[in-house]
Amino acid sequence: MVRSQVETSSHEGLSIGGYALIYVVLLVLTVATFLLSRHDFGIWSTVIALAIAVAKASLVALFFMQLWEHGGTYRLAVATALLWLALMIVFILADVKTRFPLAVPSNAPMADQPVHGGPGTGKPGPTQRQTPP
Amino acid sequence: MSPEPEVAEHFANAQVQRNAVRLGMWAFLGTEILLFAGLFAGYAEYRSLYPEAFFYCSRHLDATLAMIETAVLITGSFAVVLAHHYAGERRGGLTSLSLLAAVATGGAFLALHGVEYVTHFHEGALPGRYYTLAEIPIAGSSMFFTLYFLMTGLHSLHVIAGAGVLAWLALRAARGPITEHKYNAVELGGLYWHLVDLIWIFLFPLLYLI
Repeated sequence: MVRSQVETSSHEGLSIGGYALIYVVLLVLTVATFLLSRHDFGIWSTVIALAIAVAKASLVALFFMQLWEHGGTYRLAVATALLWLALMIVFILADVKTRFPLAVPSNAPMADQPVHGGPGTGKPGPTQRQTPP
Repeated sequence: MSPEPEVAEHFANAQVQRNAVRLGMWAFLGTEILLFAGLFAGYAEYRSLYPEAFFYCSRHLDATLAMIETAVLITGSFAVVLAHHYAGERRGGLTSLSLLAAVATGGAFLALHGVEYVTHFHEGALPGRYYTLAEIPIAGSSMFFTLYFLMTGLHSLHVIAGAGVLAWLALRAARGPITEHKYNAVELGGLYWHLVDLIWIFLFPLLYLI
């Protein structure tokens, strides 16, 4: 039966030498990012550290996890996850970075201010206007 | 009881079965990335709100130790790649040994990280209102350590789970010949271990090197 036959050996991925080379590159990049972080490059420090992290992650994903060889639908699964990750971070940062204190005119409490009082708290709610003394 | 067939009935051949199990694993890894995504997004938010606190707290962590931890995890990934290679050649003994080496790196990583945790507990570099580190009395520092413990803690749980899976695979590889099922299991367990490594590759610069 052809169906139940399985090749006894399946050479997938790189040779041991190839993997060893990638392993050494990963170690070198790890030491490099550590040494570079001891110097202050201002805003570029984070960029450099993340660029090295992306390079290391790419090596692991493409060769250790064999995405380079397998490709196709697996890459789609990864790309989808990364897209959601990016959306989440970008929109949360966009929100945080564009916040501003709401303007409050004179003594009039505004209905859209955070509510600390209201029914059952014994304090006036946001809709109950307080008359200035 | 008859032995489990090498290829399940509904797959045309072993290659199709391999593609299917792999895709299932990648879909699962996608959800794992999303699990950590929330924490990475939280990190981005609080770091943008308290850049100074994050800078000083990051400098307070032991980056040298973290670099060694990174190297240990990468070594574990390399061991798993070797295990996958040997499983492909149907060499059970070497597969098992490589997997056990990876488990050992997981143990070493957890031990090193435990050293860090103990230090932080003693000096009061703790999350939220338990933060009492007098050295850095800046607002936002407690948030750094909240995220530090959540991110590294969740990651360490994954290391424990991954090491458990690899130990089980090592046992299976040592017993009897490497079948198609065992080969696939080594590949999938390996993918999980690599993901744990991938997450750490980002945690290392974000927490220790900024």
